[in-house]
Amino acid sequence: MPSFIEKNHFLLRRLHSLTGIVPIGVFLIAHLLTNSSIIWGGAALREGMHDAPFADKGIAYFQEEVAWINTQVPHLLLIEITLWASLAFHAILGIYYAKTGSANTDRYPYQGNWRYRVQRLSGYLGFLFIFYHVATLRWGWTFLVPGGTEWSFRYSASTLAAALHGSTAGLTTVGVVVSLFYFVGVSLLVFHFANGLWTAAITWGLTISRAAQRRWGYVCTAVGAALMLMAWMGLFGALAVKHDDAKRIETQVHQATGADSHVAPAGSVADGH
Amino acid sequence: MSATASHTTHARPQAKPGRTVRFRIKRCDGPGKPVRWETFAVKPEAGANIISCLQQIAASPVTVDGQKTTPVAWDSGCLEEVCGACTMVINGKVRQSCSCLIDEYAPNEGDEITLEPMSKFPVVRDLWVDRARLFDALKRVKAWVPIDGTYSLGAGPRESAEQSESRYVMSTCMSCGCCLEACPQYQVEESPEKWPTSFIGAHAMNQARLFNEHATGAVLKGARLDTLMGEGGVNDCGNAQNCVQVCPKHIPLTESIATIGRSVTIHAIAKWFRG
Repeated sequence: MPSFIEKNHFLLRRLHSLTGIVPIGVFLIAHLLTNSSIIWGGAALREGMHDAPFADKGIAYFQEEVAWINTQVPHLLLIEITLWASLAFHAILGIYYAKTGSANTDRYPYQGNWRYRVQRLSGYLGFLFIFYHVATLRWGWTFLVPGGTEWSFRYSASTLAAALHGSTAGLTTVGVVVSLFYFVGVSLLVFHFANGLWTAAITWGLTISRAAQRRWGYVCTAVGAALMLMAWMGLFGALAVKHDDAKRIETQVHQATGADSHVAPAGSVADGH
Repeated sequence: MSATASHTTHARPQAKPGRTVRFRIKRCDGPGKPVRWETFAVKPEAGANIISCLQQIAASPVTVDGQKTTPVAWDSGCLEEVCGACTMVINGKVRQSCSCLIDEYAPNEGDEITLEPMSKFPVVRDLWVDRARLFDALKRVKAWVPIDGTYSLGAGPRESAEQSESRYVMSTCMSCGCCLEACPQYQVEESPEKWPTSFIGAHAMNQARLFNEHATGAVLKGARLDTLMGEGGVNDCGNAQNCVQVCPKHIPLTESIATIGRSVTIHAIAKWFRG
């Protein structure tokens, strides 16, 4: 008797490819764009805080964006569940498929062969990272956060900085470990997406000739470089944040936008502070 | 690039006449038998290849330690890189041993060359492997033009010169197994009952494309795509693209894989809506 995976081999393989781009890849772009705004947001802030330092304005912009996503985007939980299900599907099948290969970069150290190998390695490590990231900052598994900070969208930059630093007072040794994990995890995932975008075009038969594959490679490299820049801006921007200063700015944003009334519904558990 | 640069002759290392070259060979007396390494010293003649050195070893099978042993077994046929039979792993990389010249690989006294059988096929003896699965894959994708019938099928459709030319390079495949040996997705599989669900490999996808693009061969396109859609087909390719790097015939294998990918995408969508 052929198993479920054998009977639906083609469908599952192509769904695996598709889910990596939609919804996961699309979400990754949106997520890193929002994260990096903690650096460039100062240039985009529409009102208020004219005299504040650029970094402070970035925190304010980031806070406005995160609050908007968490309060104004319709069907947010449905979107999140779709993402979690897609990630689980992509990861479980990905591990199953990766197990069918055996790396041979020692004998054939071609660039393409290295990307094949790193694609699988980044899949394993990236999945671990995403699980830790979502569990700690979204599901509130604070026992896995050094310092025990619970992330809150009302205090997005300050609680993020504390979760990365390992304390509200500044960077701790464990915080360095967590931050390094974030750096490696997010960098590998950006590679995984850019390289996956390149191989998906071959899988579906969009790029055929070597010239076409090379051209699409340039596009994927550019996409990867832009996302890598955004990922690092988001991470180093958050690491540079001082918890107390950020909390003050976030409170100002709440007062300026009158957000307090609708941001925190009665009995909200998300507001950890 | 100047015109002169492209005409520069490739400088070969000057091989020292009368030198001794060491051959480190991975040996095995037969299926299921233990593997051992033996080293032989050979004085290669000018212009010698791996095969002629193996012949010298066979004439006097004594290791560098002075141990008398059995002649090393290997497979070969044409000796001009068109049959694929003498493919083996030389200094860690797969290639044909007939076209592997000792003057290039071991120009100096005491240079060593390592010989191993391909790892993706069951060893028959020493450097000789059984490539039956490779040929079974060609049957699975019906890599032929169907012309047999109970009555005369008449003349085939006209083929344009462009079509013939684009297919020519695909047709130069000699089923040597280099693409499979270098592929991280292709694993050794000794039981034939598992072949239909194990990764078929680049060579078979290239042959499927060759005959899909042949006006008469295209009659079997649907059947070929049904095979390549399933487990072990084109979707099991991991896009490491080692195949195209090691192909001695410079066949654009990755283009053939992408072409099959496109055909399978269209085939699957058409089947889903048409039933």
